Amino acid sequence: MATIDVHPQTATHHHDEHGDDHAHHGNFWTTYIFSEDHKVIAKQFLFTGMAWALIGGMLSVLFRLQLGFPEANLGWLKPILGGWLTPEGKIDPEFYLALVTMHGTIMVFFVLTAGLSGTFSNFLIPLQIGARDMASGFMNMLSYWFFFLSSAIMFISLFISTGPAAGGWVIYPPLSALPQAISGSGLGMTLWLVSMALFIVSSLLGSINYITTVINMRTLGMSFTKLPLTIWAFFLTAIIGILSFPVLFAAALLLIFDRSFGTSFYLSDIYIGGEALPNQGGSPILFQHLFWFLGHPEVYIVLLPALGITSEIIATNSRKPIFGYKAMVGSMLFIAILSFVVWAHHMFVTGMNPFLGSIFTLLTLIIAVPSAVKIFNYVTTLWKGNIRFTPAMLFSIGLVSFFLTGGITGIFLGNSAVDIQLHDTYFVVAHFHLVMGSASFFGMMAGVYHWFPKMFGRMMDEKLGYLHFWLTFIGVYLVFFPMHYIGIAGFPRRYYTWTAFETFSGFADLNMLVSVAAIITMVAQFIFLFNFIYNIFRGKLAPANPWNATTLEWTTPRLPGHGNWVGEIPTVYRWPYDYSKPGSKEDFIPQHIPYSETPESNLPHENDEIKLEMGGAGAIVVEERKH
Amino acid sequence: MSEAVDFKIVEEPKRPMAMNPKKFGMWLFMASVLMLFISLTSAYIVRQAEGNWLFFDLPTIFVVSTAIIVVSSVTMQLAFWSARKDDVERVKVMVLLTAILGLAFVISQYLGWKDLVARSVYLVGNPSGSFLYIITGLHAIHLVSAVVFLLFVLYSSFRNKVNSKNTVQIEICTTYWHFLGVLWVYLYVFLTLLR
Amino acid sequence: MTWIISLGAILVLVILYMIFKIGNLVGLVKGKKEEEFSISWNNANAIMFMIFMVVGLGGFFWYSYAHFDEYTLPVASIHGEVTDSLFWITMWVTVVAFAIIFVVMFWFTFAYKYEKGRKAAYFADNHKLEILWTVVPAIVLALLVFRGLRVWHEITGPASKEAVVVEMVGQQWLWMARYPGVKDKTLGHHNYKLIDASNEFGLDLTDKNSYDDFKSLELHIPVGQEILMKIRAKDVLHSVFLPHFRVKMDAVPGVQTHFKFTATKTTAQMREELNNPAFNYEMACTEVCGKGHFSMKFPVVVDTQEDYQEWLESQESWLKQNPDYLKYVPAELKEAAMIKAGIPLDNTVTVQTAAIK
Ligand code: HEM
Ligand SMILES: [Cu+2]
Ligand SMILES: [Cu+2]
Repeated sequence: MATIDVHPQTATHHHDEHGDDHAHHGNFWTTYIFSEDHKVIAKQFLFTGMAWALIGGMLSVLFRLQLGFPEANLGWLKPILGGWLTPEGKIDPEFYLALVTMHGTIMVFFVLTAGLSGTFSNFLIPLQIGARDMASGFMNMLSYWFFFLSSAIMFISLFISTGPAAGGWVIYPPLSALPQAISGSGLGMTLWLVSMALFIVSSLLGSINYITTVINMRTLGMSFTKLPLTIWAFFLTAIIGILSFPVLFAAALLLIFDRSFGTSFYLSDIYIGGEALPNQGGSPILFQHLFWFLGHPEVYIVLLPALGITSEIIATNSRKPIFGYKAMVGSMLFIAILSFVVWAHHMFVTGMNPFLGSIFTLLTLIIAVPSAVKIFNYVTTLWKGNIRFTPAMLFSIGLVSFFLTGGITGIFLGNSAVDIQLHDTYFVVAHFHLVMGSASFFGMMAGVYHWFPKMFGRMMDEKLGYLHFWLTFIGVYLVFFPMHYIGIAGFPRRYYTWTAFETFSGFADLNMLVSVAAIITMVAQFIFLFNFIYNIFRGKLAPANPWNATTLEWTTPRLPGHGNWVGEIPTVYRWPYDYSKPGSKEDFIPQHIPYSETPESNLPHENDEIKLEMGGAGAIVVEERKH
Repeated sequence: MSEAVDFKIVEEPKRPMAMNPKKFGMWLFMASVLMLFISLTSAYIVRQAEGNWLFFDLPTIFVVSTAIIVVSSVTMQLAFWSARKDDVERVKVMVLLTAILGLAFVISQYLGWKDLVARSVYLVGNPSGSFLYIITGLHAIHLVSAVVFLLFVLYSSFRNKVNSKNTVQIEICTTYWHFLGVLWVYLYVFLTLLR
Repeated sequence: MTWIISLGAILVLVILYMIFKIGNLVGLVKGKKEEEFSISWNNANAIMFMIFMVVGLGGFFWYSYAHFDEYTLPVASIHGEVTDSLFWITMWVTVVAFAIIFVVMFWFTFAYKYEKGRKAAYFADNHKLEILWTVVPAIVLALLVFRGLRVWHEITGPASKEAVVVEMVGQQWLWMARYPGVKDKTLGHHNYKLIDASNEFGLDLTDKNSYDDFKSLELHIPVGQEILMKIRAKDVLHSVFLPHFRVKMDAVPGVQTHFKFTATKTTAQMREELNNPAFNYEMACTEVCGKGHFSMKFPVVVDTQEDYQEWLESQESWLKQNPDYLKYVPAELKEAAMIKAGIPLDNTVTVQTAAIK
């Protein structure tokens, strides 16, 4: 029997030494800047993501000022906005569109894709599957620096004189192809495209790494059925990313050719600025197909990691196994597959073939089913739990609430006949901000609160966390819930003001409420920022496993160094959700505890697992242990 | 815990399946490259279905390109087998030969473009021509990247780092090379059938 | 305005600081106790969830009921009535589901908040339950969709031969309507290369059908008669949106799209119904198209069939308004063109012909 033991020991030993001596080498540059350590890279993604979230949030406050207080004089913003204010102190209508475009791009790609996946996939994958680091630390580092470069270019585009891209985050041509049509489609759009190309490279490098790591570097015993749901989510997200981002790349490439080399993929029959353009034979609809082929999977790239994080946190803080682990994995898998075949529900009224519209209506409604299953599973996980409202738990419950509220409206939008009226109104804005924006943002927040102790070795302040949660939770609802009414009333999105129309002249009060709530919500984020930064340095020292959680990352030291585990990597024997197991004294049994050590709480089939290996003698051992 | 050590031996967990991470990463990279070309070819189909589509014959020299790339796959495979058999000299020859064939392919594609231009099919104009340039161009760029990779393999082989114990690099390179070959054949058939 | 915002911000910061300080002080006083998991805060959060649930749901129902007329647009088309009913059916179904899940979820957070010594249930799965809540939503959704698909099929089906044809053309940042004219009832060809400052439609004057086409800066449609709206754009994407008629269709350069609908209420009827003599139908743009996107308003008038006929006949053809363009009409068609366009056949003919080089 002892011989069996030797094999894994030697295999891991080699790694140990490698892991340990790295921690002592390296200068400032290799440790903090061009680090190849997944935890440092995760933090780099987190900080960059947070910076972007602040910028993106500020932009939204600016355009909410315009919508909520159309009469206000914003002259006091002159120092920041300069020429983008009209002489009367109003935001320039074209700049308004630039703000909306940049807000969308930043939030969807830089905050909720890079900031969320980049942070938590990097941080948690090695820690939760029991690996020393990512498969390729070098590629991982490159992934961050491509993202950084992409960020820098997008940031610069905010300050150029013709303004950043302004054709909407979906950059539909011809608007995005013709500088004559909107000034943001000049240099601003070029920078947007370059930045996104780099972003795609970064995302692909990251995704390849995540998948490779999950497949190949799991510790002994970590079979796929024992993976925490977070890892499942990151894994599927990465797969979606690998398959969908190249399509955005193709779409962008053709757009680049149209813009700069005179091809006509998307352009046809255009008369603008007093001249007829030579382009003929292109189709703007083609771009929309390509864009949404990425675009819809992208919304799940944004959402799935948040759902994974939430599953983990809800189980831990309910002190209960997640309900329906298999169904959770199954529904994520199903969503991941289906997300590739629903894209045209964004295009019901583009004049595309109505028969296609029917097909996509059907497919879209199918994808609502696994989403509903997930919600039911979360709710059932709460049932008969013993719930601790840590800030992370609060944000996770918030996520479920948003996912529910926003998911429901998807059922309206997915029905093509109903979507005719709702498309491109504030109803859609309400839908996707709740289901994607806010839900994923809350997932990210939950993740930060939950794993802060492992990231920085210190605790965040809980009370500030509560305050942050309640202000944000109620604030978000006050911002996005009223938008449903505004949308049902038909108010179109991306409007600088509605006063030009009698039909849309109401709701000044509701719009003001939304804007005030947006500002309060924005301000509330500074509570978080303070809590976060202050406690990185001054927080209470964290115990190694502050939440009594079962997954492997909590078996590392308080602040894991390079290589994560000081000694051997723990071996995994059980699934990650053994909370409150009947018979067990503690209300959690970590994944690395063998069944043979917990005979009092083993289920019949788990006892079988021991016996099998023992070849019949196991029963005796188990009994021995009971004495 | 000392007691527990005994039990650990008893209850040995299964070793998770694994593959060389670099090889696996290459497969994932190829998946995303494949998606890039799938999306371009689907765009091609969608656009073509809308009509107003210029018809022209593919350059005949594309047949030569196809032949070259098929042969280069053979030489690449021979290089890999030689590496397995520790026949280092043949590895060098075959890798070099493959690289040269790769460049020949790119040149042949370029001649194809010149042929198109001679027949007044330009990048700018009807999308039917634009698509052809973009698809073949992107493929050629990937092929050039594979040639660069080959040069790395060649360099390694001169430093005696390609042999039966070190096959990972050349194996990945071989996989990538075959992938680009098959990709071209797919593109060629696609472009021939959907004019 | 600004000071309200800054005041709010300062207020929040002050509250924040105080809470933080108090938290610290309490922690100091309690000494070691701080280490422990705080039951009272836990309960406070659970109670907050209940308050949130009650106030939130209450507010939702109250506002939806009390302000119903504000956020619902009256409907004035046949298919609009159908899609509206589908919308409200979906609303009822989903609101019931939403309310149940919402209440149950927050109730659970309250009922199962942490209690010392209690052990959570080890409840990891239950296949019956899971199958139930997969199948039930699937069936409900299927029912909703099938109704939707039938409606969709009708809406997007071909228009009848008698439908009134109108062309809407979007450009930065205005709409134009082109009517086929009373004589041939057919829109003439257009070509974007022919567009110039006066020939805004790019009318192809070699096509006979274009001579009596006329431009209108108001959309007039007859009540109770099917309208086939043909839609195109000159520069970038736009989208025709007629909120009261539940009509929306993108205007795409290089592609012609269309939408058919039948108005059910004239402007006058609607004014009466809403008790608002100033009411007007409007058309908007719902696809971002640049700086002036928010201002692409186009007035819409629904006439009785008689009024509509009268209006039609009172309109001057585009060619009549732009007689210079007669020079682009092929010589052999000139006379026919003038008759069709309603230009008096006097000596201008010779003048115009001479004008061609
Ligand atoms: C219950 C399942 C869902 C259904 C049936 C659904 C359906 C739809 C439909 C039909 C649209 C297009 C509406 C329009 O533009 O007219 C839409 C928009 C959108 N949905 Fe969903 N959705 C669902 C869930 C989600 C989820 C889970 C996310 C994100 C994680 C999401 C994110 C979005 C976004 C971002 C848009 C708007 C994009 C834009 O126009 O800028 N949806 N949804
Ligand atoms: Cu979608
Ligand atoms: Cu517009």
